[in-house]
Amino acid sequence: MSSAQHDESVLLRMTAPTREDFDLPIHDIGPRDVAPRVALVAGLHGNELNGVFVLARLASFLHQVASGGREGAELLGRVLVIPAVNGLGLNVRSRGWPFDGTDVNRMFPGYDRGETTQRIASAVLAATAAAHWRIDLHSSNVDFEELPQVRLFEPTDVERGAARWLGLPAVIERPITPTLTTTLAHAWRERGGRGLVIQAGHAGSLQPGHCERLFRALMDFLERAGVLVGVRLAEPEEDVHSFGPRQSFPMIAEHAGWFVSRLEVGQWLQAGDLVGYVYDGFRGDLAAEIRSPVSGLLSGIRRQPLLCEGDLVARILVRDIVTASPETYLMGHGQ
Amino acid sequence: MQRRRETFFSLALPYRERLALERAVFTGGAGPRLALVSGIHGDELEGLFVCHRIAARLEELAERQPGSLLGSVELYPALNPLGLDTLERSVPIYDVDLNRAFPGHPEGLLPQRLADAAMRSLDGAALVIDIHASNVYLREIPQVRIARDFQGRLVPLARAMNLDLIWLHEASTVLEHTIAHSLNARGTPCLVVEMGVGMRVTPAFAEQVVTGILHVAQRLGVLDAVSKLEELTKMPLVADDGNVHYLNAETSGLFVPCVEHWSAVRCGELLGRIVSPLRGETLSEVLAPCDGMLFTLREYPLVYEGSLLARLMEVTR
Repeated sequence: MSSAQHDESVLLRMTAPTREDFDLPIHDIGPRDVAPRVALVAGLHGNELNGVFVLARLASFLHQVASGGREGAELLGRVLVIPAVNGLGLNVRSRGWPFDGTDVNRMFPGYDRGETTQRIASAVLAATAAAHWRIDLHSSNVDFEELPQVRLFEPTDVERGAARWLGLPAVIERPITPTLTTTLAHAWRERGGRGLVIQAGHAGSLQPGHCERLFRALMDFLERAGVLVGVRLAEPEEDVHSFGPRQSFPMIAEHAGWFVSRLEVGQWLQAGDLVGYVYDGFRGDLAAEIRSPVSGLLSGIRRQPLLCEGDLVARILVRDIVTASPETYLMGHGQ
Repeated sequence: MQRRRETFFSLALPYRERLALERAVFTGGAGPRLALVSGIHGDELEGLFVCHRIAARLEELAERQPGSLLGSVELYPALNPLGLDTLERSVPIYDVDLNRAFPGHPEGLLPQRLADAAMRSLDGAALVIDIHASNVYLREIPQVRIARDFQGRLVPLARAMNLDLIWLHEASTVLEHTIAHSLNARGTPCLVVEMGVGMRVTPAFAEQVVTGILHVAQRLGVLDAVSKLEELTKMPLVADDGNVHYLNAETSGLFVPCVEHWSAVRCGELLGRIVSPLRGETLSEVLAPCDGMLFTLREYPLVYEGSLLARLMEVTR
């Protein structure tokens, strides 16, 4: 392949019914004679663009470092980067595998003789499971914007510690639900842990601010993991706040209509602060002022203005424990 | 017999409209309740037609044999009305498979609220029959699928359903969010019927299943024992994970079968070909790996490498 100079490898080649064959490429960067130190994966969902863009840019940077093109910087470990697992989905702007609508991140651990997306899942898992550290990047869904954050699912202390290396403003622990047992992150967990999930921004478009933060976070991680040295980062590490599974407060709409908010994710709110307005869809009257019932960090805000009764409008991470663990029943995609 | 149509759940949509879930209830007396559920996936229509045929048969019975309905029959034809309206398998807007959102929650997102409303309505039924129609890709012979955990209670009922096949499968963590698992786990028996193909109605399959449902209703005491019903015509084969073979496409192209659905095939027999729309050659020949009954057959011809073409239940001759 023409990609040899870029150390590109191919995990899987497949035929297609009416177009040319396609493949699932991976950047394999750094020393080849050792086990991979870090595996970075994005684009399991074809419409989550932030992670795909950041990993493509990061691969470009790491290739420069590996080839000596960045003075003073050195890559000490092998890094695997898959910018987009669901490449066809990315090209046609579809969250799932476009041919059959399958959610690729519900097909793990996969099966190399099974359905198309099971084969893709199997190849991705086989390539990345050997890495000491594994990170899967996501971007919520098209309706809801997430503050760049690390999500941990019933983690080990080692994972808790490594999550802070990223320097992202929030580290959030979540319970494992039955649905999540078919994700890449869970398949990694079943094969010895040391896996992290990042959520940043929202699907369907690119948010450059979140991308810059993600890029910096991954560089920090590679440095702390001893893989990358000699890179000076421009901005200092921010405060990192950790939240347990019962410290997440989802705000659910009681009214339907238009939801309008001027808030940005990452703001700290006091109980009673205004989150947004709901206007009646047809009459246009103000139906409700939505105020935060709790004080905490605004980790997510609705960006889709059309609001059904019962929709999630915001998520606030709180210092105190919320009585229930409501996140377990908020199972919209990307949530 | 009393007939009523009612809304058992509604929720405000952004612009004027409300999403409403409707059911039809036929009541003859204080006897047991039998419930039919369909349309959890918006691209599956076979169950909606079964609901219509059951309604028609109950109305005929009420005229011909008044008093034969001792309990209630409840029809929930469209649990995912937005999906049915928009030809979408999942719940539109949320892109969530409703059959992975059970038992739901009254304060969750829309799919969880739908699921919760259904669970509350179905609670306490003598039997719930959840009718699915595969998907748009595969045609299924009328069958019931039962998780091993619940086989003791469900298999005797399934045997009376006039189906061609009972498929016993192992428990799967991800299936814990289905309506069937949620109901069975809470003590309300639920049978999952798969039949036909997505986006289509197969009247012959519907009549076969309707006969079975009426027999089960009789067995449960929902219908009286003396009501005259058509004879059962099917004795189901019993498949399990040990005797079902999956045939996945070895390459991509157009799959053209050369055998009929639900035919008995011999080991090595040609079942179909994968051909290229760009070339005259056959890309792959699909052969039976054993003697058996072809209970799943691909309906949608275009295949990618790995696409499921057929399922075969091994039958020793």
